[in-house]
Amino acid sequence: MHPSTWWRIGWRNLGRNRRRTLLTALGLGVGYFAVVFMVGWAVGISAELVENATSLVGGQIEIHDAEYRPDRSLYDTIGGREGADVEALLRAIDADPGVVAAAPRVYAGGLVSSGEATSAGLLQGVDPERETALTRFLDPLVAGRLPATGAYEVVVGEEMARQLAVGVGDELIVVAPAADGSLANDLYTVTGIYRTGLVEFDANTAVMPLADLQALVVLGPDRIHEIAVATADPSLADAAAARLGAALGAAERGLAVAPWTELNPVLTEYVTLVDSMYWIFIVIIFAIASFGIANTMLMATFERRREFAVMLALGASPWSVVGTVLYEALAIGVVSLAVGTAITAPLMTWFYTAPPSLEWLYGNVTLQGALLTPSLRVGYNVPAWSWATVGLLVTALVAAFYPALRAARVPPADTLSGL
Amino acid sequence: MQGLPMRLPVLFLAAATAALAPAAPAAAQVDALAVIDRVDRLLRGDSSRGVATMEVVTEHWERQMTMEIWSLGTDYSLVRLRAPQREAGTATLKADEDIWNYLPKVDRTIKIPASMMGGSWMGSHFTNDDLVKETRLIEDYDVELAFDGDDPDGVAVWEFRLTPKPEAAVVWGHIEYRIRQGDDMPLWTKFYDEDGDLARTMEHGEFTEFGGRLVPGVMDMYPADKPGERTTVRYEELEFDVDLEQSFFSLRNLQRSR
Repeated sequence: MHPSTWWRIGWRNLGRNRRRTLLTALGLGVGYFAVVFMVGWAVGISAELVENATSLVGGQIEIHDAEYRPDRSLYDTIGGREGADVEALLRAIDADPGVVAAAPRVYAGGLVSSGEATSAGLLQGVDPERETALTRFLDPLVAGRLPATGAYEVVVGEEMARQLAVGVGDELIVVAPAADGSLANDLYTVTGIYRTGLVEFDANTAVMPLADLQALVVLGPDRIHEIAVATADPSLADAAAARLGAALGAAERGLAVAPWTELNPVLTEYVTLVDSMYWIFIVIIFAIASFGIANTMLMATFERRREFAVMLALGASPWSVVGTVLYEALAIGVVSLAVGTAITAPLMTWFYTAPPSLEWLYGNVTLQGALLTPSLRVGYNVPAWSWATVGLLVTALVAAFYPALRAARVPPADTLSGL
Repeated sequence: MQGLPMRLPVLFLAAATAALAPAAPAAAQVDALAVIDRVDRLLRGDSSRGVATMEVVTEHWERQMTMEIWSLGTDYSLVRLRAPQREAGTATLKADEDIWNYLPKVDRTIKIPASMMGGSWMGSHFTNDDLVKETRLIEDYDVELAFDGDDPDGVAVWEFRLTPKPEAAVVWGHIEYRIRQGDDMPLWTKFYDEDGDLARTMEHGEFTEFGGRLVPGVMDMYPADKPGERTTVRYEELEFDVDLEQSFFSLRNLQRSR
């Protein structure tokens, strides 16, 4: 017989018990949705973690002096003690076609104090204009405005502001060991308050204009610790870092150009894991679904054992009986796929474009220093989606195989004689 | 630290009444506790005032400061910078367990938070904790005599090994402390971390008579993990049992410039 005939028989058999067909298709369809959605959610979480790790306060690529990490000494500025032509470096970096933003930074450790309260703080010097093009944490601020260069102004994290009981307009004393060994100290005005949601960062970091921090800790204008770089997408960072390393002559100049995958290896591993673990979802969910299908098909073939007996008695080969059942299963698979897609596509589109808030379920979570906001954000994982489709059809066929074999081995005479 | 003649105020003072009680020449059995206690008391006046220079040498810079130091008992001390000019007036007050810094440039006083007690004091190799931990050694440490005899130079010395008492909140794993037998002068102190590795060494020298007492006039602190770096404190003036009231060690007095 021509396959299309088999196919038609299989398709028609579905109509014998439409309610059962629909329930089976729903079972498989929901399983399909579960796979696609859970993978999508995991992808959404890892995408958000990476985004926050690379654009909230950090950068997708960070350029340091080769000596700078991991000790982060005040003295290990880009270009060593002589410093570097920061403008020329930034021009060279901006010239790379993959770079969308780059910002220089200076860091120093110190104390920040107001009234009775004092806490240890990390001082971060930034170029406000370049920084806001690169990272999100200073724009928008929770309150106030960005600090102006030369005006002794500073913005602090929300948690630091709470601990020191300062608000916009209040005075802040900053003390830091300077590069010349002196105890640098000065008075600043808090002009703004930021919130990243990274509690430790918000409690520790005070941000002021780059030149002001250089002046405070007695570092020349040519001395910076870091240039953070953003590309259009985190996945482009590795390639861009390699290009920048070559363009800047990183090896000869003692620079380290590190993409986020190198700066945050644990996060990188997590992302790789998430990208590959859809197999686990596919196997588990479809394994469960396959028992449901097998049960249904077993019932369906048992009910029709007389029919199979007649087929066999009339000379149909056992394999053609197996074929009938398998084509029927394939037809169920196709219906299930239609049902599953009908459920999955709109929900995924909704969660992708407008992730519902899960704040009632859990608050902000920090994982490997990367912030995770409470929303049901999903990402598309095309291979997972494709494999889920294949998985669904394979499940339908595999689950029907045993019932099909049973159908093919119906003893015609005994069955027809009513035994 | 702890009663060792290395606390910064009293600390730098490290005074010893050498004249007092030249150690019994042939003490059959040395009472370790008694020796430490005696040195501790002798090196510390009830109160003191002095002027010292502190030279700090690091990999990146060298600087010298001149400071005036007052102390009262173990609880109070005040250090005020006289030089360099740019930082003159910067002062540190230690009262009980707390440390305040006065910053003349901004005319503000800040209290050092507990988390920063291990931080450097004025850029030196002394920590804020060194100023605070003025309790006496024998209160926090068990003392045993580790060596009694001549050092390579032929000088009779005692060497004590101090291990923290179980409940003592101290940062060192153990301390080795060498004292010259003839005049109770401390020669060096070695501080070991909890893994038993040497963390820093303090050497005493140039024993000089100040205010009728023989004291180590110079102290050098060498951090073990930064070869080539050191902090040297040298006394220019030192007097003991001066007339100081507790009210002298107040926040108000701290903010009095110069």
